[in-house]
Amino acid sequence: MRDVLRLSVPLALWLAGFSGVYALQGLTCSRHWPEDLPARPALLVGWALAVLLQAVLLWLISRDPSPSRFVQGTSLALAAVSLLAAAWTSMPVALTSTCL
Amino acid sequence: MFALGGVLAMLIRAQLASPHSAFMGPEVYNQVFTMHGTVMMFLFAIPFFEAMTVYLLPGMLGTRDMAYPRLSAYGFWCYLIGAATMVVALVLGLAPADGWFMYPPLTSTEYSPGINADVWLLAITFIEVSAIAAAVEVVVTVLRYRAAGMSLSRMPIFAWYILVVAVMILTAFPPMILGSVLLETERALDWPFFQVDKGGDALLWQHLFWLFGHPEVYIIFLPAAGMIATILPVMARTTLLGYGWVVGAAVSLAVLSFGLWVHHMFTTGIPHMGLAFFSAASTLVAVPTAVQIFAWIGTLWKGRPELHLPMLWILGFFATFVIGGLTGVMLAVVPFNWQVHDTHFVVAHLHYVLIGGYVFPMVAAVYYFLPIITGRTRFFKLGEVAFWLVVPGFHVTFLAVHLVGLLGMRRRIWTYAPEDGWAIINLVASVGGFVTAIGFALIVVDIAVNAAVASRGRRNPWGAGTLEWATAIPSPSYNVASIPEVRGRYPLHDDPEIAVRIARGEGYLSWPTRKRRETLVVGTSRAEPLQVAVLPGNDGLPFVMAVATAVVFLAPLWDAYRTAGVALLVVIALALRWAWSNGSTRDEGPLDAGRGTSLPSAWEVPDPPGWWGSLFLLLADATMFGSLLFGYAFLWTVAPAWPPASYVAPGLLDVLLALVGAAALAAGPRLAARALLASRGPWIGLLVALAGAGALTAAAASIWAARPDPTSHAYDATLWLLGGFVALHTTLAAIILAYVCFRVAAGYASSVRIGETRIAQLWCDFAGSTGLVALAAAWLPGVFA
Ligand code: HEM
Ligand SMILES: [Cu+2]
Repeated sequence: MRDVLRLSVPLALWLAGFSGVYALQGLTCSRHWPEDLPARPALLVGWALAVLLQAVLLWLISRDPSPSRFVQGTSLALAAVSLLAAAWTSMPVALTSTCL
Repeated sequence: MFALGGVLAMLIRAQLASPHSAFMGPEVYNQVFTMHGTVMMFLFAIPFFEAMTVYLLPGMLGTRDMAYPRLSAYGFWCYLIGAATMVVALVLGLAPADGWFMYPPLTSTEYSPGINADVWLLAITFIEVSAIAAAVEVVVTVLRYRAAGMSLSRMPIFAWYILVVAVMILTAFPPMILGSVLLETERALDWPFFQVDKGGDALLWQHLFWLFGHPEVYIIFLPAAGMIATILPVMARTTLLGYGWVVGAAVSLAVLSFGLWVHHMFTTGIPHMGLAFFSAASTLVAVPTAVQIFAWIGTLWKGRPELHLPMLWILGFFATFVIGGLTGVMLAVVPFNWQVHDTHFVVAHLHYVLIGGYVFPMVAAVYYFLPIITGRTRFFKLGEVAFWLVVPGFHVTFLAVHLVGLLGMRRRIWTYAPEDGWAIINLVASVGGFVTAIGFALIVVDIAVNAAVASRGRRNPWGAGTLEWATAIPSPSYNVASIPEVRGRYPLHDDPEIAVRIARGEGYLSWPTRKRRETLVVGTSRAEPLQVAVLPGNDGLPFVMAVATAVVFLAPLWDAYRTAGVALLVVIALALRWAWSNGSTRDEGPLDAGRGTSLPSAWEVPDPPGWWGSLFLLLADATMFGSLLFGYAFLWTVAPAWPPASYVAPGLLDVLLALVGAAALAAGPRLAARALLASRGPWIGLLVALAGAGALTAAAASIWAARPDPTSHAYDATLWLLGGFVALHTTLAAIILAYVCFRVAAGYASSVRIGETRIAQLWCDFAGSTGLVALAAAWLPGVFA
């Protein structure tokens, strides 16, 4: 079961981070967001956290290897994919208009 | 079902073949295209690969059957009854007519009076029950029921794919089931989840539907990809190149596909940044797709391919799917999407990927596995003719459909005028469509003829390396006479004698000395033998229970809610009866499993198969709960008619009840298990947990009491649903606890037989923790307001 988690957790947390940033963006555009609080820095922080989380996972997996070579190789590759995905898919927070 | 969907498709093409066609009126046309999409997606694509899986997977894994054979049967009957209902509705002219994705407000009572939309919501949800059942079963089977020594790295590639797909079903279907529940309660009880003036939002449906809908297209594609990865290396007389990379690609595709859903909603006015997230994610999935394609091409390169019929269909797949993937990436680019959304260009894209990416590989799979099913070698060569009708015919049709989409023809219009200039293209598309259909009909004839009269074949005709070919053909119902020990990814190549050894009983559990159907349970990663599981005998219960379940889902069509309630009680009673037939009233101790090992029975371990099944069923349940919270948060942030007039605020007593209840639910089963381990009676723990369930239910009921009218605002309706979710799960926990009490009293528990108490613990933990979160979500806005 630990092996199954090694393989699945980084990607699952990419999804959580991606959805979290999207939810944050929705929130910044809603009436609940305080007028005087700028949205973009908050979004950038969200993006950074999502990427950081993936970096930590990658580090954890490389530090505590699975006894199976196959699982170790594949889980490292998947953690790297998750890191790239986190960096790429939330990039719009830096590039586009926020609520248009 | 594929044939029915095909006939409907031909009706559509006949209607669109000429302008101002008088073949069908709009009312009929709407039903026909809606049913075409619904039948193909829900009644053909998913059930077909599930059926192939239930049939083939145990053989591939070298085990005797799926983990829960009676659940397979139950799922099958649910599917059959649900599908039959849809067909009857179509014949009676009561079929849904709002498109396969059923957007409100078109599907609300105001614009869809009559029961047509209800047929969709209720029958499809009913059929979903069978998909969830199959998914739980596949996950447990792949993780726990394999040949000894078949570690994760030695699993047949199809097992990986289908494991991934099953987890996707468990996490993608719940949002849509929730959406259907919301829409049906709105239609039946007027709870205004999608009515803007009362605090609802029609866009919520689109989110919930596509949260399911995009993963769904990968749920359909990945099993076919698994078939390709299985068949292609055999056709190329080699082994799969880059096994690890392919597994990685399948897993990443599965998860990434959950981050694409908004690309179906690019034209709904969502802010640009939101669109950009999903455009970025959509382009990203091209990467793992490409990894798979290159692994397959590399496999062909490394081997010596032979052009048998399955290979021909796989080539058809390559030629078609790659185009469909590219039009998909085009559609994922927002400005292009704005131009062609809801035109026939989208129709062409989805048919390229669905037919090219699913139907063609599945035809290959049917031909490839035909010897296992019929025991015969194909003799008549109608299949080749069929191929040359289907593939070119398909391309003629849907290339034309791309073009007419670019020329501005909207989808789902029932007719058009000659001045539109679409007449000739449409005629071409229709002619191609009929050629394709004739080709598919020929395939059916080919298979039927060859199954009936071709000559008997020999074992493993393709020279494959995986275990499903180690049995005599057609394969016997118990699959393997003994459960082998494997040392590599391709056991038949590693040990050409393995088939004989299996048949001679040199594996595990060869002699039925205990006069019951037994199979091996192994560890999830290394597949070391752990337990001996007993499979049930033949039983009529699944059928009866499926009929009762059908009444629960379908009686509301006639507003017969009382009948549905009674049927629900019957379902519960039958489920308990079902569970009762497992287990034993005495400790058997270690059993002789063959090859000099002795293992405990699965009834005498802390994690029996039922525990694993519950775990994954609860994963689906947790996703359902997450979707509910998402819907609530969505309305709270974006619905125009919010905030509601007032928020509910909790009383101190309610909060106490909730906390104490959840704590008791967590502690009770643990106390009970500990008492059993020490050979004491578990009663105190069980009673504590039951009391906890009662307290939490009371806390949930306080919300209903505070807001008596769920029809007044979407907020109130959501509160009712949150409370309902809590009460449903505390009730389930209570039923399970009461059941465990009876089991203990009847002697089904001991210091080793604690599995059932541990299963109750899972359900209590779930009820307690989701209960706390749900009530916190209900109360927090009121606390801060
Ligand atoms: C196995 C692969 C695929 C399948 C089975 C599939 C299936 C579908 C289906 C059924 C629809 C139509 C939904 C509807 O509106 O009724 C659709 C639309 C769409 N697909 Fe795919 N698709 C696949 C791959 C892709 C890929 C790889 C992409 C992009 C990277 C993509 C992007 C889109 C987009 C953007 C739309 C929405 C177009 C619109 O409504 O404006 N698809 N796809
Ligand atoms: Cu999609």
